[in-house]
Amino acid sequence: MIVMRTLVMLLILLVTPLSGCLEPLEPITADADGDCELLKPGRDSDGVLRLLTYDIAAFSENMLGEFTKQTGYEIELIRTNDAGGILEQLLQTQQAQQADLAIGLDNTYLQTALNFCLLQPHNANLSGIAVEALLPYDGPLAVPFDQGDVCLNYDETRVDGTNLTVPTSLWNLTEPAWAGQVAFPSPVTSSPGRAFMSATVDYFEHDEDEATDTFDWWQAMADNDAIFTSGWTEAYEIHYSGGYGEWVEGHLGDAAMTVSYCHSPGVEAFYGGNWTKSTSLTLPRASFHQVEYAGVINGAAEVTAANAFLEYLLSDSVNRNMPENNLMKSVLIGATWPETDGYAHHADVPSLNADISNERMADEMEAWIVNWSEAIQ
Amino acid sequence: MNLNPRLAKVPLSHWLAVAVVIALGLLPISLALVRLWAVTGISPVSALAMVRDQPVAMEALRFSLLEALASTLLTVALGIPLAWAFGRYRWKRLQLKRALLFLPFVTPPIVAAVGFLALFSPDGLIHRLGFDLHAESGFIHVLSERTGWEEPGHFVALVVAHVWFNLSLMIRFVEPVVAQLDPAWEEQLALLPAGHALRNRLRHFWMPVLGPATLVAATYTFFFSFTSFALVKWLAPSANTMESLLGEMGGTAGIAGYRVETSLAVLGIATLQMLLMLVMLVLAGRFERQHSQVLSMHHERANRSRHGPPSRRWALFVNGTIVLLLAPLVSVVIASFRVTTRSGSGFTSSWTLEGWKRAWSGDLSTVPVMEALTNSLTYAGLAVLVALPLGYAVASCLATLRLQGRKRLAGFLDSLCMLPLSMSAVMVGLGMVAGILRWFPGMFTFPYLPVLPHVMLVLPFVIRLMVPAIERIDPMFAEQASLLPLSSVAFWWHARGSFLLVPATMAASLCLAFSMGEFGATFLVVRVGSWDSLSILVDQVASRPKFDPYVFPTAMALATILMASTLLVLSINERARAWRKRHDV
Repeated sequence: MIVMRTLVMLLILLVTPLSGCLEPLEPITADADGDCELLKPGRDSDGVLRLLTYDIAAFSENMLGEFTKQTGYEIELIRTNDAGGILEQLLQTQQAQQADLAIGLDNTYLQTALNFCLLQPHNANLSGIAVEALLPYDGPLAVPFDQGDVCLNYDETRVDGTNLTVPTSLWNLTEPAWAGQVAFPSPVTSSPGRAFMSATVDYFEHDEDEATDTFDWWQAMADNDAIFTSGWTEAYEIHYSGGYGEWVEGHLGDAAMTVSYCHSPGVEAFYGGNWTKSTSLTLPRASFHQVEYAGVINGAAEVTAANAFLEYLLSDSVNRNMPENNLMKSVLIGATWPETDGYAHHADVPSLNADISNERMADEMEAWIVNWSEAIQ
Repeated sequence: MNLNPRLAKVPLSHWLAVAVVIALGLLPISLALVRLWAVTGISPVSALAMVRDQPVAMEALRFSLLEALASTLLTVALGIPLAWAFGRYRWKRLQLKRALLFLPFVTPPIVAAVGFLALFSPDGLIHRLGFDLHAESGFIHVLSERTGWEEPGHFVALVVAHVWFNLSLMIRFVEPVVAQLDPAWEEQLALLPAGHALRNRLRHFWMPVLGPATLVAATYTFFFSFTSFALVKWLAPSANTMESLLGEMGGTAGIAGYRVETSLAVLGIATLQMLLMLVMLVLAGRFERQHSQVLSMHHERANRSRHGPPSRRWALFVNGTIVLLLAPLVSVVIASFRVTTRSGSGFTSSWTLEGWKRAWSGDLSTVPVMEALTNSLTYAGLAVLVALPLGYAVASCLATLRLQGRKRLAGFLDSLCMLPLSMSAVMVGLGMVAGILRWFPGMFTFPYLPVLPHVMLVLPFVIRLMVPAIERIDPMFAEQASLLPLSSVAFWWHARGSFLLVPATMAASLCLAFSMGEFGATFLVVRVGSWDSLSILVDQVASRPKFDPYVFPTAMALATILMASTLLVLSINERARAWRKRHDV
């Protein structure tokens, strides 16, 4: 016990004086007009373009090698775990940025990045980009490079009109028949989870019932034994019975419905020989149009190279292959899902996505997450 | 004992090494706590008091305690007869069997995790024995039906994996007690009335004899199960231990003005976890002291000969256990060549080399296996280069202080140097992320950052190996060397260095293996940076959406390479151990 007490005392002694003298740096934020100052490069220019990204499947060695061949710029990847990791690393290195181009922030994170002055204006030509990809943001600080709609997916063999009927309202999911049948990835730790929760805010603001809001619904879902997981993978692979999880180790298959992309059934069919039992629930405002962005980092050392890569990312040869390479839709005008093996046939398109601005998400996301966490307790 | 004057004093460089090692153990986590304190405005003590208001943390605490308790009980129940039989009888190929029994403990956790996944798959051995995680059939189904427990599969899988991992602790602590027990004790008891019945023999003899060693092993089993991360992440993805919760939230913690709630939660959970681990380590230390006082030693080989070869029943039990212990590792290799593809509503499994091809070429955005392996070996090599001299200097300082009679000071410094042991891997990672990277963002571009947590985690083992090795060296060699006209370096080599080659080789191979398999700390660090080690690559690839059926075989191929490299490194350790035994160094 003496050793333990000594160690605890040492930690307290060490921590206490440090807490007084070390204050965290105040982050730089945009002014009242939303303007930011251009920061000095965080490192010296060395002809190497550093991309800050997560495990984006589209960035193959060949694809990156082709860029180097075309432009002469070497590429170095700095990979984080996910979109949240990109934002967090940008925030941490705000005054000494080590990368040049951030690739993978989605529209639930973008405005936070803009509020913290993490991106600078780019030179990319946006004329070839479809309007739908520019809807959430069409400003000069970020370029959309892929897109998809986040929505509920369900197992058609279980939601067959006999055992379970196709919901016509999200409130249907709080009925006893749906008890323990829906798996949700957490908005705290999952991008699709975050996107779907944002959609439900809009959904319940536009339903006929004014006495309840989205958090009442989430609480009712929790009371109805909904399954909450930390990430999309657990929800889709382990719990959802309608997807490829069936042949994944540790699969439970206890959920007939989960959050994924509206085109996930198309991907299932693409890899399953034009067969899937999964489909999407495209209730109006119960889906979220997710756009992923690339942006030149404020404080980048290789701005010219970063802009060149943006052009390359938006080129036909790279961007039109997004459905096969990254399982997301291209942002270019006229882009479609591939017809191969029922990809396009099973990729559903929602009739009306939730309409919720990036600014509002940046302002209210923290509060939504706190409320959501309380609602599901 | 008189010390040679040239080795009697602790050189300044050794004191500096002690200071560096203590600072390495204390500073990152202290800086992390300060950072979280500054970001949240709430002290660690206040945050600790607020943990009970966080249902997620309380649920994680409950789950950690429950799974650790279940894992410990099952490990003890299976481990005692195993260690008893293994220590008592004359076994063929004893060294090989012992090495195989220790193998799970040194297997990289991520390899163990994916190995168990492969075992539980519909194509796997355990599944065929009726262990169906879906709870639709077999033993799990019966358990679910009779207890009303809706999803026992993941919990049972996790506990089984923990037992697999920790059985070697029972062998490590209990087997030597049985093997070296004076047989006269047992024979004398048999003559007494109390020794006639098995129950009495268990109560009056075996329990007091094996109790302390079992308690030590049980405490460490509880400790390792409580802080389990990779196995929980993969085998019980719907649940969280305190450790996995920290792993999940830790990467976001410590950013000023962003997700302050998360920083607060991490501060409270980390403080609680640290206190609980300190308590466990103190208990383990206390039991270990008890354990070392219990027995008289007797010659192991004579004992085994006296009891003869095992009965068929014991042979089946011990050999069967060894085969089962190898099953997850074999499954990894097999699964790397198997692919399950869909055709319509059905599935077909077939043999494939595609996983290996993709692992080799670095499919899509992952780095090729050779690059990840090179990274892993570089981190591990650097960790050894730093940890070995540091560990030696600290061990030399501690040994010298003890020989000088300053045992209290030596004990105190020893405890401080062992501090990283009281922190789990994820806690060390949190120290890196919230303690180092948040304060010094320039470190994001430091290519060898993972070396630092690896050094922290391996240093206690190096010190633990070096101290007894130094203490075993006969001071006569120093006396004789001092009579010769030798430079200080040559004197050190002849009086000490040459005797430490074998323990240093053992320490180095253990460090290499540990560093290559390290997962928890690196997992947290790579959330915010790009340091791809092979163990992280296995996790990254296995975490990918598996629409593409070759994702899993690729992950398994990577895991096979990690396992093979680690075993290769560990075989150096075994050779060094065997050499030392032969030459009695």
